[in-house]
Amino acid sequence: MKDPVPLTTDRPGQVVSATPPAPGRSRRRLSDRGLAVVFVSPALLLLLGMSVFPLLWALYLSFTDYSATRGGPARFVGFGNYTAILTSAQVHQRALTTLIYVVGAVTLQTVLGFAIAYLISRRTHGRGVLTTLFLVPMMLSPVVVGLFWRFMLDAQFGVVNSMLGSLGLGQVEWLTRQRTALVSLIVVDTWQWTPFIMLIALAGLTAVPKYLYEAASIDRASEWFRFRTITLPLVWPLLLIAVLFRAIEAFRLFDLVYILTSGGPGVSTETLSFHVYKVAFLGFNTGTASAYGILMVLVVIVLTQLYLRYLNKLKEG
Amino acid sequence: MRHPKRVGRTSVSGRKVRLATAAMLLLATTLAACGDGQDDGTKASAPKAPATIPELTKDPLTLSFIWFDWPPAHALEDFANAEYKKERPNATIKVNTVPNANWHDAMFTQFAARKTDFDIAILDSQHIGEAVTNGNILDLTDFVKKNIDVDAYNPYLLAAYGQFPQAETGKRDENASLYGLPLLGDTWTMIYRKDLIGDKPPQTWDEMISVAAKCQADNPGVSGLAFHQANGSDAAAVTYNTVNGVYGGNLWNAKDRKIDGVLNDTAGHEAMDVLVNKMKPLTAKGSGNWFIDEVNAAVAQGKACIAFNWIAASGGLLDPKQSTLGTSREQILGKLGFATLPTQKTNLVPLGGMGMHVSAYSPSAQQAEALNFMRWFEQADVQRKWAAAGGVPARTDALQSPEFLNAGPFNQVYADSVPRMRDMWNVPEYARLVDIENTGVNAALNGAKNPKAALDDIAREQQGVLDSSNRKGGGGL
Repeated sequence: MKDPVPLTTDRPGQVVSATPPAPGRSRRRLSDRGLAVVFVSPALLLLLGMSVFPLLWALYLSFTDYSATRGGPARFVGFGNYTAILTSAQVHQRALTTLIYVVGAVTLQTVLGFAIAYLISRRTHGRGVLTTLFLVPMMLSPVVVGLFWRFMLDAQFGVVNSMLGSLGLGQVEWLTRQRTALVSLIVVDTWQWTPFIMLIALAGLTAVPKYLYEAASIDRASEWFRFRTITLPLVWPLLLIAVLFRAIEAFRLFDLVYILTSGGPGVSTETLSFHVYKVAFLGFNTGTASAYGILMVLVVIVLTQLYLRYLNKLKEG
Repeated sequence: MRHPKRVGRTSVSGRKVRLATAAMLLLATTLAACGDGQDDGTKASAPKAPATIPELTKDPLTLSFIWFDWPPAHALEDFANAEYKKERPNATIKVNTVPNANWHDAMFTQFAARKTDFDIAILDSQHIGEAVTNGNILDLTDFVKKNIDVDAYNPYLLAAYGQFPQAETGKRDENASLYGLPLLGDTWTMIYRKDLIGDKPPQTWDEMISVAAKCQADNPGVSGLAFHQANGSDAAAVTYNTVNGVYGGNLWNAKDRKIDGVLNDTAGHEAMDVLVNKMKPLTAKGSGNWFIDEVNAAVAQGKACIAFNWIAASGGLLDPKQSTLGTSREQILGKLGFATLPTQKTNLVPLGGMGMHVSAYSPSAQQAEALNFMRWFEQADVQRKWAAAGGVPARTDALQSPEFLNAGPFNQVYADSVPRMRDMWNVPEYARLVDIENTGVNAALNGAKNPKAALDDIAREQQGVLDSSNRKGGGGL
């Protein structure tokens, strides 16, 4: 007589079926693959319904002159919308504004974020409290941030000009002059998002093995040498990923512009996203706005791909 | 040895089949959605409201309005709930408000969805064309004929808040359709500091500028002028249009739909030069983004000699809690004067205010209640009570009534300004036209553009919008 098949294995939690399902049982058990499909399908359906379908729908509309308010048939215009956008002087101007903004804001945030993270990482006491305090701006809604900075930067009643006045300096028109308005946007965005870079950089800095520094100390390496040859190379890849996230976010900036400057003076702080909003909702030119949006997505995808390739190369190197 | 089959991987052909199925599903859904869009292919036009108000429900009902957030919106809700409830106890009035900058979008995105959470849209007079062309609001022509005493109104006020196509300035076309009824009349008032410039307000625009310049020079810390300059809503555009009108300019030739060459003619350029080179230097530093609230704040804090603002938004200036000019209304009125706008080559003033329009997507019971509310609101005695509650009525008898004229020091200004009003363009492209003008004028006021180039660009771009209806692609740029 054969020994009975054990019902459990040595490993706890792992159950082995003793016998095949009884013939004639009406309920079929789901296979692993079936279970996987059941679990994945709600998320998949949500993704298809909320992301993939709207994207395809926008892609379709981008080849038409459809207007959401006018209704009527969506006339096919081929690449007319795309050609108009790519050749429009208005779009070129907004693209340049966006580029200046992205480069300015992300560079400033990276330098400041890394510097703050480096200083915090060298502290042994109060590191947690400091990190939490620095993270507060990031947790606020951009609309709230925009509103209180709008009050603070007001040329007549704002606290910033009041402080400048008490230092004997003149009033600055922060939000109503061409140069200062864009700088103000960069400063406010930097105030809010530097903590993001700081957080990622801090994670990288704390992960650097201590023995490397110890070895460098034994060799009497200088502080600058240690920073240049140990800290920076090890944190750099992580920092670049943070830069990527921030650049994508900054590229689609809308809320701060809307609250702080409304794109002014004139259109000098209108970013691409703000312009898309105007095309989409002031004239309800849904077809053009869809094409505009698709082009912006394409730009982000292409630039991200190039960036990721560079990151991979860095990793291989 | 047999390798176990890897879980989760299927054969290449199986995956292809699934991918193809998913793609076909998406394509089918997309085409179905496209088909739905094309079903709307009939030419849009406003559906007609019945001439007679249908039977009203006895069940509890909330009649919803949509407006932007400012004092008259709250006054309307309080007034309607206090007075309309006497006639319809089962009805509650709710005035939903949005920030001024989102007002157009909040209404028209709902119209685009063909479903609204409001029954009565309070549209700016220039929004009517867009709403009518898209079939978003009811045609009230027959209803008005049967229920409203049109002779009780200044014809232009009735036309401005309801007629489409737009009426000629100062007139009403009795054969044209009406899509709304007046809710709140409005225009600009000149607010001046009697204690700084004297009791007599300046009579001409040039005199006003020289008085403001002198006042600024004599009173350090007080700016000569305060007016709307922001690039949101219609702020900077209304300012330019006002000066343009006063200096004899025109916004467009409505008959030929021509803006380029009309707006930027000699009078137009003179108006832009006056605004940027003579008026702007008399304003406070950093006032390039000021709108209604900021101008009121400057006046209330005693920081401006002469200011311009909408009458309907001026009530707060007399509130001692919001002002540094006095501890009582009388004290404040001893320092502040309100007058009609100075004249120059013409006496035109901007038409403000809004009308009530019934959403085409509101349920029929709500539409019936909305029509009943409008009939009730336009009665002579209700208009007088509305005036006493802080509203600006449109009926001539209410405008001349003591209830209105005594309710605020600026109400006489409104009554005197009615025959002088001029509106902007009431066309479906309004939102884009006003945005172009706002950004252009704001750029000129803040030194981002040369005034002459700014006006020429505005005219060219606005003409492009009017001419772009048959363009293949790129509409909106």
